[in-house]
Amino acid sequence: MSLIEVDNLSVTYSAKGRAVRAVQEVSLSVAHGESYGLVGESGSGKSTILRAICGLAPVSGGSIRIGGEEVPTPRGKRFASRVQMVFQDPYASLHPRHTIDSILSEPLAIHGMGDSDALVRRALSDVGLPANFRFRYPHQLSGGQRQRVAIARALMLAPPILLLDEPTSALDASVQAEVLNLLNRLRAERNLTFLMVSHDLAVIDHMCDRVLVMQHGRAVEELTRDALARAEMTTAYARSLFDASADRMLGAL
Amino acid sequence: MSLLSVKNLRVTFETETGPVQAVRGVSFSLGRERLGIVGESGSGKTMTGRAVLRLIRPPGRIEADEMRFDGIDLMAASEGQMRALRGQRIAMVMQDPKYSLNPVMTVGQQLTEGLRQRDRLGKADAVKRALAALEAVQIRDPERVMTAYPHELSGGMGQRVMIAMMLIPEPDLLIADEPTSALDVTVQAEVLSILDALVRDRGMGLIFISHDLRLVARFCDRVLVMYKGRVVEELAASDLMAAQHPYTRGLLNCLPRIGGSRGPLPGLDRSADWAV
Amino acid sequence: MGALRAWLADPNPGSRRQARLGQWWLGWLRLRRNPLAMSGLLIVGALLLIAALAPWIAPHDPVTQDLSRRLLPPGTPGNWLGTDDFGRDILSRILYGARITLYIVSLVALTAPVLGLLMGTVAGYFGGWVDSVLMRITDIFLAFPRLILALALVAVLGPGIENAVLAIALTAWPPYARVARAETLTVRNSDYIAAVRLQGAGVARIIAGHVVPMCLPSVIIRVTLDMAGVILIAAGLGFLGLGVQPPMPEWGLMISSGRKYLFEQWWVSTMPGLAIFIVSLGFNLLGDGLRDVLDPKSAPK
Repeated sequence: MSLIEVDNLSVTYSAKGRAVRAVQEVSLSVAHGESYGLVGESGSGKSTILRAICGLAPVSGGSIRIGGEEVPTPRGKRFASRVQMVFQDPYASLHPRHTIDSILSEPLAIHGMGDSDALVRRALSDVGLPANFRFRYPHQLSGGQRQRVAIARALMLAPPILLLDEPTSALDASVQAEVLNLLNRLRAERNLTFLMVSHDLAVIDHMCDRVLVMQHGRAVEELTRDALARAEMTTAYARSLFDASADRMLGAL
Repeated sequence: MSLLSVKNLRVTFETETGPVQAVRGVSFSLGRERLGIVGESGSGKTMTGRAVLRLIRPPGRIEADEMRFDGIDLMAASEGQMRALRGQRIAMVMQDPKYSLNPVMTVGQQLTEGLRQRDRLGKADAVKRALAALEAVQIRDPERVMTAYPHELSGGMGQRVMIAMMLIPEPDLLIADEPTSALDVTVQAEVLSILDALVRDRGMGLIFISHDLRLVARFCDRVLVMYKGRVVEELAASDLMAAQHPYTRGLLNCLPRIGGSRGPLPGLDRSADWAV
Repeated sequence: MGALRAWLADPNPGSRRQARLGQWWLGWLRLRRNPLAMSGLLIVGALLLIAALAPWIAPHDPVTQDLSRRLLPPGTPGNWLGTDDFGRDILSRILYGARITLYIVSLVALTAPVLGLLMGTVAGYFGGWVDSVLMRITDIFLAFPRLILALALVAVLGPGIENAVLAIALTAWPPYARVARAETLTVRNSDYIAAVRLQGAGVARIIAGHVVPMCLPSVIIRVTLDMAGVILIAAGLGFLGLGVQPPMPEWGLMISSGRKYLFEQWWVSTMPGLAIFIVSLGFNLLGDGLRDVLDPKSAPK
């Protein structure tokens, strides 16, 4: 049975009196323990799907099921303990006036879990941050360290599902490698299910078992990792994306 | 003769905790070619680009043994001479068009402003030149874009407008600071080919600053790899895969590639003596 | 003492309590580096001290009249700041007046910004019709001149110092609501608010714990800038017989009562006016310094 099922999802915003159809009838399903990628260019609606799952974007049609159950609106605490998200910009996703300690203990306080002291310490070491970072503020950390904090925060409630919204696009290449390795290690250790968004086909290929290519709010093509590596795409758009990725450019040298 | 030669460039910032060197002795020379400067954030690559235009604000300080552009000593030039050089002979394209275009002026007004004030062109002539510049960067309906405000343009379109604007005075040297990192990959390729054509057709010098090693390798003739304010390696772009320096190799290897292994990506070892 | 200081300044605190106390200590150090803020703190501290010690340091009783010594100029032995039209010692009245001023100012500073913050953040966070209703209410309050509105409220509630404070607080909150709403609008769509919503936090928790801290600095600045205005409105109400009642030594009331003698006996109005000026300046300087301390980004890296 699939852990995440998205069926004919549509998201329509109204911006300046005009209806913007950000996502149109997209379906996908992610099995337990799988890592699923969404790839596309800006405006393709890939991030909007993640936000819709979390209740941060208005769903105008279709359904979202987690573990076979329709998600409630508002999402509530039970949903929070099953699905968490890591945002794209580590500079914007941590509260600038809270210490790392209060950022990490907040989810525990919301859910009334005790012994936050030990849990926060454990969480920091799990994402490879030294314990003395605990009482620092986000602005005292580098981009990669902040993203580690954001990952630690998402894992505080030990959710089985992690939604990753371009988690490394704001980071340097070497830092990206470290964060991707961290995510893969955590997935293996905790048997996590990933739904990951990226504009970088190489990152998606490295992280995901299956990938859905999106354009203008619609699903274009679903590919397995093997099919992607062998360039067995059937649509022109997926191929142009494949050809344009920096990795291929170097190959043509 | 080289268009630009820089010897032992240093950029220092005075902070509360003492001076911090953002650029520590960078030397290079540039002909009418494409030079790439690659590095991670904090490597000083942007500061190097800005220092050439002397666009470092206090408390920043620029020092160099020599910084010469087409026979002009940039270190000794007055602020007035620098102003005449900036934009006219040395142009700069920034990363994000959103912050570089004036949001309350139409594209047309911004493109023709310089032409009318600096070059004293009449309105009709200025518009004609601006339209030609937009066509040169392959904008399909330049008339519509002329009347548009920056927020009505997509990212790729805005970046092309920026490039058109910089190219109107026909500069000899273009400094492009991450000109495509805010763009989608397919648009990125288009913008790069436009830049490429301009360098070839007009014989312009180009300094291409980027964090993306592979992109620079494909696009430039020569590459400087910077780390912590120093040039750690300089090599021809075609030899990049044969790079010797451990930092360059590390940067190349830490990128995932399609169809590559799924094991942990090699990290960058910053403990060696070059990293100090 | 040295050990305590080292414990407080430890960059790697071992417990939350140590971290919090360390934050306070760092804030104090930062405040101490700012000479303007320190002079503000000095003035406000002096005001507190004077208010507490008024009965012991005042040379005369503030309300006892002595018509044989009326309108003496400053520098008269025994009445160093002169006397007013009833022969009361102006220095003593200013010293006692510090109590009333402090009382009014602190009550207003505690109520109006809280009300404004609540209205502004709630309106900004929810948006839609909640925002429309709350902001139209704010507009109605803003549309009246403050003194007129305060007058109307006191006229209904009856004169007296508590009612004057209530009236001032009810007229002072709309600007805070505006400021807080503007800040909330920039914050509410940020990723860190989305993240805490995703953790299942309730609205009250989000607003109090995550939105309000972002609005506090601008509100604090506003409050300190408004302090002088609050003292003056209290004075205006007193002058109209609706606030502090004579013969209580309230600074604003003293200015008003000296108005008749402004040209010949200038000190009657000027001395309490100077007191208001110095205290307002103190609050402004302190507020400016506090804003810097409240912003963790200004901390050294």
